[in-house]
Amino acid sequence: MGYMEDASDHAIIERVLSGDVEQYARLVDRHYDRCARIAVRMLGNREDAEEAIQDAFVRAFRALDSYENRERFQAWLTRILVNRCRTILERTRRRETVFTDHDHHALDLIAAPVDTSDAWPDLERALDSLSAEQREAVVLRYADDLTYEEMARITGTGTSALKMRVQRAFARLRILLGEVQHV
Amino acid sequence: MSDVEIERWLSDALRSNVARNPHAAARIMRRVRAAATELSLPRTSLPRHGRRHSILGLALAAGIGSITTVSTLSPGAEGVRGRSTSAVIGDSVASTLRDTLRLVRLLFDDSTARHVAVVGGFNRWGASGTTLVRDAGTHRWSATLALRDGVHRYAFVVDGVRTIPPSMEKHRADDGMVYALLHVGS
Repeated sequence: MGYMEDASDHAIIERVLSGDVEQYARLVDRHYDRCARIAVRMLGNREDAEEAIQDAFVRAFRALDSYENRERFQAWLTRILVNRCRTILERTRRRETVFTDHDHHALDLIAAPVDTSDAWPDLERALDSLSAEQREAVVLRYADDLTYEEMARITGTGTSALKMRVQRAFARLRILLGEVQHV
Repeated sequence: MSDVEIERWLSDALRSNVARNPHAAARIMRRVRAAATELSLPRTSLPRHGRRHSILGLALAAGIGSITTVSTLSPGAEGVRGRSTSAVIGDSVASTLRDTLRLVRLLFDDSTARHVAVVGGFNRWGASGTTLVRDAGTHRWSATLALRDGVHRYAFVVDGVRTIPPSMEKHRADDGMVYALLHVGS
């Protein structure tokens, strides 16, 4: 098994598809941290992020026979993850709407930050100030070091629109960070 | 703050790893194993290429002469670009490998195409795929594949362009790509 430590994603996928399912753990280990960076920053809490990451890895596994080698596994997996994050965001938005109408106390519990010991409280507040689209664009651009072309393939959005979202996010952050510095 | 400063701050903050849940990988693998059981992935550690070729060799050696029974297929409309049909034309049982393969002939009608191939999970979405052969008389392209029972995702590549004829059953996967579906077996 030792030689698989340095095996390419493609080689590991071949092993998994040939029936060695345990090899998939290597892909999980290899890509988990990157997925966590994206999901936690897109969703804003660890619980939902864990759900999105789990779903993404399992869905990727189930669809592994349709993975096309012309695309990096990393990009393919990220696309699945982003779609899961979007679905969870939509579900959360609906849930919060329901609670807003009926139970303000419950909404406070849901909206409360899960990890108050995070080293980047200002980052979370800053990301919260962005729209979902701006937040997604900023996270993909800077958490995963993607080019706009790669982001476009993952999100299905044109590069011009993505650049505009990042620019608008910067404008919003500039205001917010200015406010923070004067507190 | 300037854009450069914001960019640097974002990069530093967003690229820092979040603490990993120590149970997360185990949870994922539990679900993966359950999915593998459900999908009935082959239980072998043999390299995929070698195993597939072996099965195919056995299938052909088993005398699946029914390839020639393709004439029982009803012909599609000639000259309609992208019309495709498929039919199971024979079975093979390689009992020693616990795999059952069915020989499936894919037909693709396109009188103007210069090259037609099919790509799918069964050939690992290889860049060149499996090339279809053109019948000079009918202009029909065809290829015979040895496939396991189940639902296979695939697409045609016509003159280098990925193509899924509109009449075919399609599926949009989690990755956003659209595939044609081919049901083999019960």
